[in-house]
Amino acid sequence: MIRALLYLRAHSLLNLLRVRAKRLRQPKYLFGLFAGIAYFWFFFFRHLAGANLPGAGRGVDPVQFIFVAFAVLGLIRIGSAWLAPTPKPSLDFSEAEIAFLFPAPATRRQIVHFKLLGTQVTILLSSLLLTLITRRGAALGGNPVTHAVGWWLILSLAQLHGLGAAFTVARLVEGGMSRARRQLLVGGVIALLIGGLAWGAWTTAPEAGAWMSDWQDKHPGDPLITAGTAAYIREVSGTGIIAWLLLPFRIALAPFFAPDTGDFLAALGPALLLLAAHYLWVMRNAVSFEEASIAAAEKRAAFIAKIQSGQRPVSLRAPKARKAPFPLRPGGGRPETAFLWKNLLSTHPWLGPRSLIPGAILTVMLATTLSPRLSFLPVVAAIYFIMLGPQLARQDLRSDLVNADLLKSYPLSGWRIVLGELLAPTAILSGLLWLALLALFVMTGRAADLPGWLTPTVRLAGTACIGVLIPPVCMLQLLVPNAGTVLFPSWSQAGRPTRGGGIEVMGQRLIFVAGQLLVLLAAVLPASGFAVLAGFAASLTSGPAVSFAIAAATLLLALGAEIAAGVYWLGHRFERFDLSAEALK
Amino acid sequence: MIEVENLTKRYGDFTAVSQLSFTVRPGEVLGLVGPNGAGKTSTLRSVAGIIPPNGGAIRIAGVDLLADPVGAKRKLAFFPDEPRLFEYLTVRQHLAFVARIYGVDHHEETAAPLLEELELAPKADALPSELSRGMKQKLAIACGLLHGPAVMFFDEPLTGLDPLGIRRMKDSILRRAREGAAIVLSSHLLHLLEEVCSHVLILKQGTKIADGTIAEVSAQFANGESNVSLEEIFMRATGGSET
Repeated sequence: MIRALLYLRAHSLLNLLRVRAKRLRQPKYLFGLFAGIAYFWFFFFRHLAGANLPGAGRGVDPVQFIFVAFAVLGLIRIGSAWLAPTPKPSLDFSEAEIAFLFPAPATRRQIVHFKLLGTQVTILLSSLLLTLITRRGAALGGNPVTHAVGWWLILSLAQLHGLGAAFTVARLVEGGMSRARRQLLVGGVIALLIGGLAWGAWTTAPEAGAWMSDWQDKHPGDPLITAGTAAYIREVSGTGIIAWLLLPFRIALAPFFAPDTGDFLAALGPALLLLAAHYLWVMRNAVSFEEASIAAAEKRAAFIAKIQSGQRPVSLRAPKARKAPFPLRPGGGRPETAFLWKNLLSTHPWLGPRSLIPGAILTVMLATTLSPRLSFLPVVAAIYFIMLGPQLARQDLRSDLVNADLLKSYPLSGWRIVLGELLAPTAILSGLLWLALLALFVMTGRAADLPGWLTPTVRLAGTACIGVLIPPVCMLQLLVPNAGTVLFPSWSQAGRPTRGGGIEVMGQRLIFVAGQLLVLLAAVLPASGFAVLAGFAASLTSGPAVSFAIAAATLLLALGAEIAAGVYWLGHRFERFDLSAEALK
Repeated sequence: MIEVENLTKRYGDFTAVSQLSFTVRPGEVLGLVGPNGAGKTSTLRSVAGIIPPNGGAIRIAGVDLLADPVGAKRKLAFFPDEPRLFEYLTVRQHLAFVARIYGVDHHEETAAPLLEELELAPKADALPSELSRGMKQKLAIACGLLHGPAVMFFDEPLTGLDPLGIRRMKDSILRRAREGAAIVLSSHLLHLLEEVCSHVLILKQGTKIADGTIAEVSAQFANGESNVSLEEIFMRATGGSET
């Protein structure tokens, strides 16, 4: 039986690779592959070939904190596996696997083996990717191989532990243990563990500041935040009672943190023994998982089908009826508003207009507590929203492409449909950018070292001008991916997450983002030139506030004209749009 | 009334529909039949204004679809084979949305009897995911009927329906025809055409093979035999193979 399962795994993988290779004949995938390879080369592989990234191995590398985040997530995952497991444990099988494997003459152990083997492919790939992302973990010591094996051990143990916990809890439930009793028992064990750790830290751990300072003196060339913290954690976790309480975790993490090959080999044996113990635990406790697996597979299949059909489901859970973002007046009224209303309904309620005022209050409260030196934070947030927002806020033609037939049967001109579809993501992104702008305004107002000309009036005028310009800039940006959807629907479809991933699909998305930014620059830069000229002319006779206002009004007019032309043109293209014809290309 | 003259639809070098002409008067139900790939869906989507034809003229209730697509679309309703619904809109919200799109004043007065007739009233606040396949179909129909269309296009209207749903769908189509709507439906189910359609149009490779009442088309391919079934007529007309 296992040979048949291995055959299925191996041939599925080979055929997947064949399909991926075959689709490279289509330019959209080929160009995507080039872009994806370029991205990986530039960001991950370049230093492996000898070229040094600026600052690599020195200073603070935030990417390396990913492993810390993973460690925290892993702990939460392990805790939740014991505290709040699903009533019946399930294994992730596809519907096809269920159809062929569950009725097959295979034992439950064989099916669990098959599943464990299958997840190893994912775990191996994830280990390689994580090793690349953490850039060999150079600042932590070790080398790419030890880190890759370290990641593999951590991920495999986490997977087996989750499964073992689910099986064990299911056995306890089958044995008659109530939920409350189980949670009391597990919660008590966790509380004891945390209490023991706290007591150990209080009594035996060295004072962090002094220890780090001492470490920095001994290792002047190494980054304190990453390597120093790792060394401190190693030191503390190897002391007194903490060392005993964290023994399983230390064994699991030791290969990853091993500073050299000798230490790695020494740590590998206990870690593999721990893995073997987990494996035996899972296999001895395997309980009925079939029913829950079938339900989970059906949910997942429905979720994937929605994404493939162009919808963007928020989660695997069934959607719930939501309160309308605003009352839609019956009868007459602009149909574009109905699109805004519909598309806002399809997104998280907290992205709707009702959240704007509470969001503004929270923003002001936060901005008044943060140091003005952190004024760069709202700017970073704004840049993030501008660059990636249009890819994330997709409540427009991109998610309604599946309903193109329905939309085209409406008695509306194409430009009205396009305009209506653009309104929701424009409103969402504008709201987020307004909050970032508000935070910047409040935080800069508390700064002591502002230039003299930046009076409160000028700051207020500048903020108001930028605020007015935000919606047209957002809409202009959103025009680009929506035009891409209408002009190149097959590219747009391929960009969906479950149309088969891969480096080439990732590359396609990069091309889209780059194209969007280029078009935005081409649209905004000339208009900005006029605005600057108008503002400069005004500044000869007026103050900065009036100059800002005149420049903003000029830019607003130019952007408005560009949007009107773009919406009209895209509407015309949408009227001529024929998805069935595009699909043949 | 639906008037179609010399409709042509091409996809690149492939001609899906060629020089097709037909007329459907108020109260008539035209069944569009043909093998897979005969051009039925392309015809329906072209005459509903969803895809642009490459040639020909289409008039919907007297309005030229190509010259005034918005005006023509106000008079028609298109029902695809799979009900296209918005995941996060309840039944009631669907009707409110469609009412705004079609500019239907006081839509609640029209919607209430529709919901009752289609047995949707108890589900007015349910999302599509909470509805059965048949209920989703009914919701799509309610949305299409809200603005009182004079012309209706159904693409495979019985797909996925249970026997009761099929019965109700047939009754609904016949009722709209009796009320004066001009209806075109495409289907592979020949018994549906026999029960519901007053006229039939057989397509093969985008070209009209036969057109007329069921009796006229039967006579054309019966070769003098009596009691020849529509299935047999279809086989004789199309050669019984996919195109």
